[in-house]
Amino acid sequence: MRADPHFPSGRFVPIRSVVAAALSIACGSLAAQGPSAPLFETEIAPILQERCVACHGENSPQAGLDVRSKQSLLAGGVSGPALVPSAPLESLVLQKTASGAMPMGGEKLAPGEIDLIRHWIESGAPSRGDAEVSADAGQAGHVSPREILVTTIYVKCLLCHGRRRQEGGLDLRTRETALKGGVSGPAIVPGSPDQSLLIRRIVAEEMPPEEHQARLSYRPVTSDELDSMRRWISQGAHWDDETPVAVDPATDPKVSDTDREFWAFQSPTRPAVPSVHDRSRVRQPIDRFLLAKLEQNDLAFAPDAERLALMRRAYFDVTGLPPSPEEVEAYLADSRPDAYERLVDQLLESDRYGEHWGRRWLDAAGYADSEGQVDFDAVRPHAWRYRDWVIQALNADKPYDEFLMEQIAGDELSNYRAKPRPLDAEDSDRLVATGFLRMGPDGTYSVSQGFVAERMTVVADQLQILTSTVMGLTVACARCHDHKYDPIPTRDYYRMSAILRSSYDPYDWLSPNEADIGPDADWNESNSRLLAGAPKPDVDEASRYNAPIEEEAAGIAAELAALSAPLRRMLLDEKVPGLPNEVLVPAGRVLTDEAVERLADSPADASELDPAAVSKANALLDSYVKAKQRLRANPLVRALFDMGGEPTPVHILYRGEHRSPGPPVAPGVPSVLSAGLEPYELEPLPWSSGRRLALAKWLVQPNHPLTARVMVNRVWQHYFGRGIVPTAGNFGRTGSPPSHPELLDWLAVEFVERGWSLKSLHRLILTSTAYRQSSRSDEARQQRDLDNVLLSRFPMRRLDADAIRDSVLKVSQRLDLKPFGPADEIEVMDDGEVVVKDTQPGQRRSIFVQQRRSKPVTILESFDAPQLKPNCLQRTKSTVASQALQMMNSEMLRANSRYLAGRVIDEVGDDPAAQIERVYLAALSRPPSVDEQAGGTSTLAKMRDAWRRELDERTPMEPKRMKADWLALATFSHTVLNSAEFLYID
Amino acid sequence: MQTPNAMGTARHRLRGRSSRRDFFARVSDGLHGAALATLFGGDLLSPGAAAAATGARRVYDLKVREPHFAPKAKSVIQFFMNGGPSQVDLFDPKPALAKYEGQPPGRDLANDIEFINEAGGFMPSPYRFAKHGQSGMEVSQILPHLSKQVDDIAFIRSMYTTHFNHEPAIFIMQGGRQFSNRPTIGSWVVYGLGSENQNLPAYVVLDDPKGLPVNHLQNWQSGWLPPVYQGTRVRSEGAPLLNLNPAEEYPAPVLDLARSLLARMDRNHRDDRPAQPELEARLMNYELAARMQMEASDALDVSQESESTREMYGLNDETTSSYGKRCLMARRLVERGVRLVQIYIEGQIWDNHSDLDKSLRYACGKTDQPIAALIRDLKRTGLFDQTLLVWGGEFGRLPLAQSRESGVAGRDHGPTGFTTWLAGAGVKGGTIHGATDEIGYRAVENRVSVHDLHATILHLLGMNHRDLVYSHDGRDERLTDEFPARVVNEILRG
Repeated sequence: MRADPHFPSGRFVPIRSVVAAALSIACGSLAAQGPSAPLFETEIAPILQERCVACHGENSPQAGLDVRSKQSLLAGGVSGPALVPSAPLESLVLQKTASGAMPMGGEKLAPGEIDLIRHWIESGAPSRGDAEVSADAGQAGHVSPREILVTTIYVKCLLCHGRRRQEGGLDLRTRETALKGGVSGPAIVPGSPDQSLLIRRIVAEEMPPEEHQARLSYRPVTSDELDSMRRWISQGAHWDDETPVAVDPATDPKVSDTDREFWAFQSPTRPAVPSVHDRSRVRQPIDRFLLAKLEQNDLAFAPDAERLALMRRAYFDVTGLPPSPEEVEAYLADSRPDAYERLVDQLLESDRYGEHWGRRWLDAAGYADSEGQVDFDAVRPHAWRYRDWVIQALNADKPYDEFLMEQIAGDELSNYRAKPRPLDAEDSDRLVATGFLRMGPDGTYSVSQGFVAERMTVVADQLQILTSTVMGLTVACARCHDHKYDPIPTRDYYRMSAILRSSYDPYDWLSPNEADIGPDADWNESNSRLLAGAPKPDVDEASRYNAPIEEEAAGIAAELAALSAPLRRMLLDEKVPGLPNEVLVPAGRVLTDEAVERLADSPADASELDPAAVSKANALLDSYVKAKQRLRANPLVRALFDMGGEPTPVHILYRGEHRSPGPPVAPGVPSVLSAGLEPYELEPLPWSSGRRLALAKWLVQPNHPLTARVMVNRVWQHYFGRGIVPTAGNFGRTGSPPSHPELLDWLAVEFVERGWSLKSLHRLILTSTAYRQSSRSDEARQQRDLDNVLLSRFPMRRLDADAIRDSVLKVSQRLDLKPFGPADEIEVMDDGEVVVKDTQPGQRRSIFVQQRRSKPVTILESFDAPQLKPNCLQRTKSTVASQALQMMNSEMLRANSRYLAGRVIDEVGDDPAAQIERVYLAALSRPPSVDEQAGGTSTLAKMRDAWRRELDERTPMEPKRMKADWLALATFSHTVLNSAEFLYID
Repeated sequence: MQTPNAMGTARHRLRGRSSRRDFFARVSDGLHGAALATLFGGDLLSPGAAAAATGARRVYDLKVREPHFAPKAKSVIQFFMNGGPSQVDLFDPKPALAKYEGQPPGRDLANDIEFINEAGGFMPSPYRFAKHGQSGMEVSQILPHLSKQVDDIAFIRSMYTTHFNHEPAIFIMQGGRQFSNRPTIGSWVVYGLGSENQNLPAYVVLDDPKGLPVNHLQNWQSGWLPPVYQGTRVRSEGAPLLNLNPAEEYPAPVLDLARSLLARMDRNHRDDRPAQPELEARLMNYELAARMQMEASDALDVSQESESTREMYGLNDETTSSYGKRCLMARRLVERGVRLVQIYIEGQIWDNHSDLDKSLRYACGKTDQPIAALIRDLKRTGLFDQTLLVWGGEFGRLPLAQSRESGVAGRDHGPTGFTTWLAGAGVKGGTIHGATDEIGYRAVENRVSVHDLHATILHLLGMNHRDLVYSHDGRDERLTDEFPARVVNEILRG
């Protein structure tokens, strides 16, 4: 094998030519198959001629694509090359025809035709003109600067020669700085690749440096990339100097005013409130909208729900918990005419409200206490601050526009970096709020999953969370192709993505969970997305807690240093004799933690020299490590922040593939959302790019077509089981249309006019007749309103997962209402069940339980707690056997039933009737009926007998009769907790 | 219905229909039943029907659904060889590697290497390959049992995938893309076809008591498909299903009292609330849970098998007993109509980064005899013709040596070319499809993508991958997404 002159030394000898040889053998054998490899002219062209040329031919080729020759397929159109020889998956001509997307509006290609095209591409797409093509594509082929920059220089060079670092004085972000070069001279000499240091360093395998490639997730420059780079430099090393695409809606060729006329893209206006026949059922204007439609269908609201049924419903809907027996009794005793309205106010003022509704927002934000994606599923020790911020914001009824502003651009609202630390509560809270954009899965801390593609997925997930949650738009499709039905072009997807680029730059990436950051860490030095921006009380508390431990550790370290200095000297003398003292012990330097650990790594050697000293050193080291383990982590904030400086440009990526860059784009919002709105206006701030702040301001315009509508719709959905727009995350053309468009608009306008107050919106709904009606259905309702779209009754609903677990705990008086702070730990049992670790007095609400993406708590998972990948706007409700097994057999239910029985006996004593009443009140929020009381008493008596007989055959520690009566009541309670009435809200 | 397994298919359809009929007979009392019928009866398979039902409420369940066309396979058993088995040491002999032994890779290959710092030179297989069976297919000496079954098996030697690390590659193998949010193939299958046996989970996962593979529970997640379609983890030791039985059951008389109290409460509750189909579904669900308690215990009780069967699966040998037991359970499950069984193996047992010979022999030793036994047993019981077997990992391994600072060399992950095999229903045994290059690095001939494999599995189950659709966030989603997947017809029987 001939040595490759480009690789004079080192370990990369030219085995690539072996592979190339192997490939050419294989290709040769393919080519030798002759007749089986189709040729463009004879087999492929006729198909394309017949099915595609009408639109992709000579006259006005659609999307710039002409399919009449192999060359024109290779050149492609606006979506990139239509043909990538040997790569069928990447060839649009196959993708589009195989998926049926093309011929547009026509009949699909026959399977045989698709197979043929595929076979042709797999075989290297042979055509008669291949000889000429390859001659063309040789040295002379034009290399696009954009491609070199985006696929190679950004990926493999900018980390050390870009915004944050300019190693050797070299900055490769612009042509000027690249030509100027660094301390070794110009990096690029246009026209002379061999004189360009860039090429020489790559060829010599000095760059990108081998020693960091594993840790920093990059790989060597491939020979193809190197060839392209050489040609690019020969051709003048031009930079990608295209002006980023900005869009003027008035002249936008991609989105028309007709597109903008779709209802969801027009500002809502307050509609007239309709008149109805039965005005006695109108409590709130929203009732009129619903009743008018019901009356058109010969229906009416159902009668008002029974008093206690309504009370239980309101408790669950507002707080996610059932009322206690005392609360039931107090409500029953309240005979004031506005007792219900007072209850609603009281519930909305309860701290439990923010916990319950916070859960829904966290679903939408994709909140989790772990990173997901990678098997290790690293825990996010600081995510809880965002969870607490959400709960507190909701409880304080922070206006929704501010709620959004802080979550989208909290870091840009003030120049927090110029403030003294610890930050004050306001600045800190705003940083915490941006955690909203840090909740999607992020596995990029893993070196084998920290490449550009994975980084881009993190950004894509965040964009999906932002757009679906706040704008009710599904834009994920536009990452790869122009949205088939919705007028969100790929261009607009990447314009939105550019809004995030100043904080999420895939070519200048920060690690999601690197946490070795002190409370005063330099804002600009960190390689982490965690910020030392925790509020003063947290920082003070942590340092108060840590100070004595630090002192203790420092003492041990000093002792250890004193002990190990002579030891180290001895060891080094043994291994590298003759080193001068100054090298060994730099003046004034204290033994670092790392050195201590290193020393401990070689006790085997040292122990031969001085066994006693080593064993003492080991003991000291042990106590040092233990002391360090007792330290609390620095309080940090999981935030999204503007990284400062100019980020890399954002390009449209064909098919979402980062190796297929299209034109660059400027930050912006969807062109289809412009009617009547102030445009997205970028005003750079002295401390920040302002990209997200401009988005937030654009979103909270009072007449924004989506912001208010989307939120009122989701609130509505949580009350009535179904949104006015049933597809809560998709208000576009592919979503379902609203059942009551005027009602939606009325609510949206009202919401904004009430100062974006969510509590006010809740009160409006809770006090409406629509909400207060009974859930009882009948034949007429079933016939004319099968799916209850018209709300001819209140929809009976199963409790959601969190409410089930929390209610079981509350009913058995095991619910610890302590809010906030780090999440409670979970544990995986031997049988694989994931449970919450028990503490005294019990367990906290599910929202405070650690939520690991890889280890969902079993009871929550079986009742449809969502897998947040990345987020969830609408939980599904399944009915599966594992739920019954969980409720019947899990220790969680059985143990809590025993607790419940214990408390009931504590409270009411031995009397079976009193016990049964108490169990009903606690679990079902109502006293038992006469029949239920009689039946229950008889069953409980039999259960007592059965348990007594059972215990007679054993010798329990406890008094048998007492234990039997307790176990009988526990069994009875367990049965009630299994009943449909416990799980379903009338 | 001219195929040899037509009877099986006919029976399966009949059984499906009759259980549906029973189901509707029980609830078809007037409107209430009609509502339930709407809820349960929607045909999810064609995009047209899915579109028509958009916005309509639907209960997702596991009732048998008609496939798109006559299926070859009724059930699937998937041997998920997590870790990435080495193709050049098992199924894809590459004598040319001897020529290049010790030569380091160039910069291009380096882009496909995970542990780039540890990459060594090319390393020939330490094993001999011999021709077996009438087909003369070559298999490595460390798979002596499987070697005897080659005439039943079709090798795809030209599989490739697009990521070199476990998590993304497993996500791709399970769900078609490297993201963690997608339903797995098992979920798609039971979403499309339901299950023959309502008393057992439709999609059973038999994981190794010694540890879950990478991605853990996400290997059988339903993603954005309703949770009813996620895999059910069945343990081969201890209680097979989570909470199938309580830690300590109530005394029988107490249990009877509790059950009748619950039934009374729930019936009264339902009767008080006419026209609420969810309540009926819930009542049936509790009945199902009770039946499942009985049937699952029976189905998974391998002590009912004869001594010779147990011996064949290697249950009496410490090396093979764990995997053998799961293989035997898999047969008992598909026999009872379970749609899809995945058998996993401890941790990342095929992830042979170091000491290739020792670790690969360990993995083969545990699995070789049980898998061959399962093939023979399925043939003996006539189930082979209606059960599809799929063997493979998330990728293969590089033909290079990987050596850490000390220790014996292994091989790093190789995504660009590897072997997967299929056997059973509809598969043409004794076939080799596709080829890697001279050194076993890259699939070059008749390349088969993961999407092609998925499309092929669905095809054998009677489903067209383009027509198995679920509408999510306004988008029609498919297992194969928008990738141009192709059924690997070359390995199918006519």
